[in-house]
Amino acid sequence: MTVAAGVGYALLALGPSLSLFLAVISRKPFLVLTLLSSTLVWLMSLIALSAVWRPFIPFKTAASWPYAIVIITSVACQEALRILWWRLYKKMEEILDAFADRVSKPRLFVTDKMQIALAGGMGHGVAHAVFFCISLLTPAFGPATYYTEKCSRIPFFLLSALIALAFVTIHTFSMVIAFSGHADGNRTDQYFAPVVHLTSGMLTLINLASGGCIIGIPLLYVVAAITLAYCSKVVWRRLSANANRIRQANLH
Amino acid sequence: MDGGSVLEIIGKEIIGVMAPVSICMFLVVLLVYTVFNPSTAADATIAVRTAANLIYLESPTDSTTQKLEGAVLNAIVFVAIITVVTFVLVLLYYYRFTNFLIYYTRFSVFLIFSTMGSMILISIIERFNIPVDAVTFYVLLFNFTVLGTVSVFSNGVPIIVKQSTMVLLGIIVAAWFSRLPEWTTWVVLVALALYDLVAVLAPGGPLKLLVELASSREEELPALVYESRPTVARSPGSSARDSSLGLLVAPGLGMNDHSSSQGVELQELLASRINNNNSNVIGIQEREVGHHTVMNHGEIEEAVVDLEERSPLVTRLSTDHNSNVNNNGDRGHGDITAGNENQVSRGNDDENTMGDNAESGSSRGIKLGMGDFIFYSVLVGRAAMYDLMTVYACYLAIISGLGCTLILLAVCRHALPALPISIALGVIFYFLTRLLMEPFVVGVSVNLMMF
Repeated sequence: MTVAAGVGYALLALGPSLSLFLAVISRKPFLVLTLLSSTLVWLMSLIALSAVWRPFIPFKTAASWPYAIVIITSVACQEALRILWWRLYKKMEEILDAFADRVSKPRLFVTDKMQIALAGGMGHGVAHAVFFCISLLTPAFGPATYYTEKCSRIPFFLLSALIALAFVTIHTFSMVIAFSGHADGNRTDQYFAPVVHLTSGMLTLINLASGGCIIGIPLLYVVAAITLAYCSKVVWRRLSANANRIRQANLH
Repeated sequence: MDGGSVLEIIGKEIIGVMAPVSICMFLVVLLVYTVFNPSTAADATIAVRTAANLIYLESPTDSTTQKLEGAVLNAIVFVAIITVVTFVLVLLYYYRFTNFLIYYTRFSVFLIFSTMGSMILISIIERFNIPVDAVTFYVLLFNFTVLGTVSVFSNGVPIIVKQSTMVLLGIIVAAWFSRLPEWTTWVVLVALALYDLVAVLAPGGPLKLLVELASSREEELPALVYESRPTVARSPGSSARDSSLGLLVAPGLGMNDHSSSQGVELQELLASRINNNNSNVIGIQEREVGHHTVMNHGEIEEAVVDLEERSPLVTRLSTDHNSNVNNNGDRGHGDITAGNENQVSRGNDDENTMGDNAESGSSRGIKLGMGDFIFYSVLVGRAAMYDLMTVYACYLAIISGLGCTLILLAVCRHALPALPISIALGVIFYFLTRLLMEPFVVGVSVNLMMF
């Protein structure tokens, strides 16, 4: 539906990430590199998954359980990747700290670490938005629009943009939670990200039912809001713990 | 507390190279999509006869084997032409026909802007129905062409003009190259990546000879290269901070990381040009100070050959280099990365633009050859002709290949070919995405099922 609509859909999915990028990530080149590499890692996981599932994909049955299996395996794969990402990050942290010592700059702050986690999460989110929403938007720049059968009152592009926005939020902030959980050894935080990812993946299965998107998408946004709230709680906790630690250290 | 953190330093040089490459690719995709879209009947029937099509002109009705054979033949001829031209270039440079090379480069830049650039501009005007009259068009084109030609080798032009000229050159040539037929494009890209690998790394390779000649004479090659000059706000009290990438990577390899060995690495490069230093400290400081415009002394202009930066440096050693820090911001002088004498070469021919090495220049940040820009953009442009999903996948692949090459550069410290890794990754990702990922993702997301 014309260029304006196409750009609108793209901004709907990626607008908040764009502003986050300009405000936080583009200031520090290292964060941009982190974003790019986590996007690449997500893409590679997607290619691997599609290599596995490609022979099966236009599913012959109308039942939803094959899709459930697809989602479970995909989420499992990506969560495994998150753990791998965490290990890589630990190594990177050591290298960065050694570098900081050598150039006599301060070591990584807590905020730095959280920003790296944010950039990593945003890479995943942006990759999701790009591959699941933006790359399908090409027809939206033309003169017509497209409706799916299961959800026939809202254009498909709008639906995918809304879902992509929710997922971007979920991916971005659950990475921060996961990293701080792994850093502190907090079990709740560590399990939060996979659980939320799986839940949100399963929630999209509701969209398979006719008219299900009216329930599925708001629920997805509820999950995204929960992720945001929990992330702010985790960050607050970490920052105040850090401030306490510094105050204690200064007292001695 | 200066508030600076390590995150702000690392990776500046890489971003300084990746940003123009991304801009070039983005604009080429935009051009290909809006103007040169081969789905329109008119473009499909125009077969551009270039050096890459000499033997075989692909048409959609040929069989697969015919297309493949024709494409391979085209690629062989293309690479052969490029090899011959590069050897001619080496000969000319060897016999010190440098001025001829410079003038020829300027001439070819002029031609590219005026003919190829104007044709692209005209198609844009036609496509978007922009009301512009012929006189204005010619005046603007002439101005623009002259500015571009002058800024290519001149040292008095601001660096941003030079960089934009380079990016525009890359866009124009890449947009023209993407009109090649599909099979020929892919095979030529792969062949060029292989050629680049051989030409830069093999002992008899023409590009390697060129690089060695240029470094032994301590001149810059008369070639079209993109230089990124990262600017870094330097905080007081830091010593050898320049090659942040080198320092970051080197210890990871177990190299000795106390300052004397760093001084040694840097010094052997500077020894030929700085003959009045004999301590590590001086070596390091000269290296870092010498590449800032010394505003206080007013003796150095912007883009000065390193040799001239010697004398003020000795006097600067006694002053702390805190003072010259922050006012160099937009002058374009900044860190050098792995600080060694590597050059980039570019064979000059309207269509046979090659010379694809990445290097870390001695005083100027990372240099990337125009051939790299062009062939990355050709790959992405060709991916754009299929679908946008392949574009994103190929973009990520190329950028990560470029990043790997830059990291390798910091480790190896001599001229490296920038094409092979990126093109290999790009081609792999293109075919994987097209065959595997796209049906999967489209099939899943059309059902509004995402993860």
